[in-house]
Amino acid sequence: MSDFREFAEEALDPSRAAAKPEALAGIRVLEVATRIFGPATTDYLGLFGAEVIKVELPYRGDLMRYVAPEGFFWKDVSPAFLALNRNKLHVGLDLHPPEGKALFLRLAEVSDVVVENLRAGTMDEWGVGYLQVRERNPRIVYAANSGFGQWGPYSAGRASYDATAQAVSGFSAITGFPEHPPMKAGFWVGDYTAALMSATAILAALEARRKTGEGQMIDLSQAEAMIRALDWTWPYAGRTGKDRPRAGNVDPSYVPSGIYRCRDGFVAVSVRDEEERIHLACALGATMPDEAGIATQERVAAFCAGRTREQVVQAAEGEGFSAAPVRGGKDHYHDPHLRARGTVCEVSDPLYGNMNEYGPAPKLSESPGRVKWCGKPVGWHNDRVFGELLGLPAGEMETLTRKKVIGKWADVPGSRPPKEGTPP
Amino acid sequence: MSGFEEWARQATDPASADGKPEALSGVRVLEYCPGHFGGMVAASVLGEFGADVVKVEPPGGDPLRRVAPEGVSIAGTGLPFLSEARNRRFVTLSLEEPEGRALFRRLALSSDVLVTSEPPDRMEELGIGYLSLREEGPGLVYVCLSTYGVFGPDAGRPVKDSDILCQALSGGPYIVGEPEGEGPPQPHQSPTRLGNWHGWFAQGLWAAFGALSALHFRAATGRGQLVDISGAEAVMMFADYNITWMHTGGKSRERMGNFDPAVFPYTYIRCRDGHTFMAAYNDEAFESLMNIIGRPELARDPRFTPPKNRVRIENERALLSILEEWSGNLTADEILRAVEEYTSKKSGPGAAVVTGRVNRPLETLSEANWRERGCFRQSSDPVYGELTLAEPPWKMSGTPARWKSGCRPPGADNRDVLLGTLGMTDEEFRRLEAKRVF
Repeated sequence: MSDFREFAEEALDPSRAAAKPEALAGIRVLEVATRIFGPATTDYLGLFGAEVIKVELPYRGDLMRYVAPEGFFWKDVSPAFLALNRNKLHVGLDLHPPEGKALFLRLAEVSDVVVENLRAGTMDEWGVGYLQVRERNPRIVYAANSGFGQWGPYSAGRASYDATAQAVSGFSAITGFPEHPPMKAGFWVGDYTAALMSATAILAALEARRKTGEGQMIDLSQAEAMIRALDWTWPYAGRTGKDRPRAGNVDPSYVPSGIYRCRDGFVAVSVRDEEERIHLACALGATMPDEAGIATQERVAAFCAGRTREQVVQAAEGEGFSAAPVRGGKDHYHDPHLRARGTVCEVSDPLYGNMNEYGPAPKLSESPGRVKWCGKPVGWHNDRVFGELLGLPAGEMETLTRKKVIGKWADVPGSRPPKEGTPP
Repeated sequence: MSGFEEWARQATDPASADGKPEALSGVRVLEYCPGHFGGMVAASVLGEFGADVVKVEPPGGDPLRRVAPEGVSIAGTGLPFLSEARNRRFVTLSLEEPEGRALFRRLALSSDVLVTSEPPDRMEELGIGYLSLREEGPGLVYVCLSTYGVFGPDAGRPVKDSDILCQALSGGPYIVGEPEGEGPPQPHQSPTRLGNWHGWFAQGLWAAFGALSALHFRAATGRGQLVDISGAEAVMMFADYNITWMHTGGKSRERMGNFDPAVFPYTYIRCRDGHTFMAAYNDEAFESLMNIIGRPELARDPRFTPPKNRVRIENERALLSILEEWSGNLTADEILRAVEEYTSKKSGPGAAVVTGRVNRPLETLSEANWRERGCFRQSSDPVYGELTLAEPPWKMSGTPARWKSGCRPPGADNRDVLLGTLGMTDEEFRRLEAKRVF
């Protein structure tokens, strides 16, 4: 093992993360968001140490709580909700009544960042938007996440989900096979991609604040985020006047790189340069370097069809081209590599017990990210946030609870804590 | 237009970004990512926020310049490189030469962030790896991009990182595409790659996020660090709830074409002029949609309620054909208007009926909305001509992200960087130039 490898294995070892400082320690983030775009944004910040206060409507909370795969709830919580809401403090707070607005603005006064993904202008209408928060706290970085932005022809009235962004951006039109309809990615890529862009812009704005002392508003449309991600689609359209075609499973920039069927699944074969192409051609039976032309899609398909994924990967490693198996969630869950990297990690949660999650992607040697606890029922941290952080006396909290300004979970799966006696 | 909308437009319109301060001014990023698009994305994102980016290419140019889908190339540079070559200075350096390595080292030590896709062991061999750089520059943030990451059992696998490898391992394509039907599998019934380089794009974005997190930490402590980015893991973060579901229910996401195991309707439906997205998955929204299509009784049909029944695959299929009976005679725009007309009278969960046309790229380009929002730029350059490019997506009121400059030929900024930034003398520059160090 090289010196660097030895260093990296130790410096990036996820079992040492808990003892190290967190990159975003001291940053407090207020989330007023539902489903994925906003919650994923704050999840990314929370993984690196920001304190995230998730504000939900009392009782039913974030509608993502009721998005359950095949209708499956575990200990009365949806696994889909858990994956987006790690390391957060959950409060139930209604922003409609005046007392709710006042309480929110008090929270905003002691926060660094607000992330929302309501329809454009809603927070402003409610009196708790950027302009109102800024009056109380000019240092606030306010991320307004939406489908089409806070202004412009499409901004008013149009709702948006991940697949709206996939659809209107052109992303789906270039995904899938030429003789078949456009393919929607089966995962919520239009939300996560935009969420990561939002989180990245928030970090940039915090860096700016260090210099100027001032916060700002960030207006991010998820459709525009996907437009930005489409690499050569736009210069191609501008240059040729044509739509970039759907190319199926072959990457048109690196033919015959692509996804191929094997005996026991699928494998990606990759050739990034002429050297790799020659090596692939040799594996396909070429004897001279000038026969690299035999590395066609058809020949690669035939080569893979007769082999297992592992055999193709071994052939690649032996011959000097690149290959990797097509993996899914089940493979990830059992993958020793991902476990060793903390990319699939164990969490010991006080409410739910042992849970497994995807851990943070960037691995930082000095201030690593980590999953500290799981998502919680609506209002789980009301006392901690309203009582300890804002110093609300118990009596006042009772009054606000009675007036339904603050509140906890509804007695339905998705919102409430596990019932006693639920098997672990 | 509401007062807020008016304010937001005035405050964040990219057309008025010029002259405003930049978030990352004063941060220097050195990019050394030959043949690698993910590293370009990382550096571009930091550059869009105002970092001073210096890209080092081998003399003769980065191999990625020669990647030209359908052979479309301008002055020796293909469209993928041109699409991401913004906001940077272009320097060439031969790392085969000791003087080249020494200059690289000086550039790295004068930078805040180094982004590289070169294998760490090769960088060590060249004397410009993380361990030796941090001795002299403990504040350096060293971002390393690869397929598997730099530690863990698979870290040593000999691959040249690429988008397709990252996608394949990520779990993304595994849940994209048509499942197999009866009879022998058809070629399109496969895990399907995302058509763009989303693996590389996500890898670059996470690298930018990781670099900024590390800079945040450095501002508090003065310490730099190593940031390890696996492109496979970058997209994995987007692969929904695989692990929590596996752990609690023993299942993970499988590919289902345009259907979904957790939410329905949430699909593309055929309409008169192509396809459009249609979602109305919570009960209240579903009832709204059934009213919109004139079939209110279906909101109480046991196939479609409660939501658990709605996500049974046979019921998803039945509902899709009901929706397409309605949508087949309408254009995507007519569908959008019907939805907007109905939902504008509603609020809360009942209004969550969501639609949007599946645009071809030229259709997106033709819509005035994006132009008005400043999403596209027509750049013009004496060498590379006219190019249509996506602008940075963030509209920011204080320190707007912005496109400042486009692609330049390899080495176009050698003099500017080596003399201006490193303080090299003209004489030395000419001596090294003659030796083909750059």
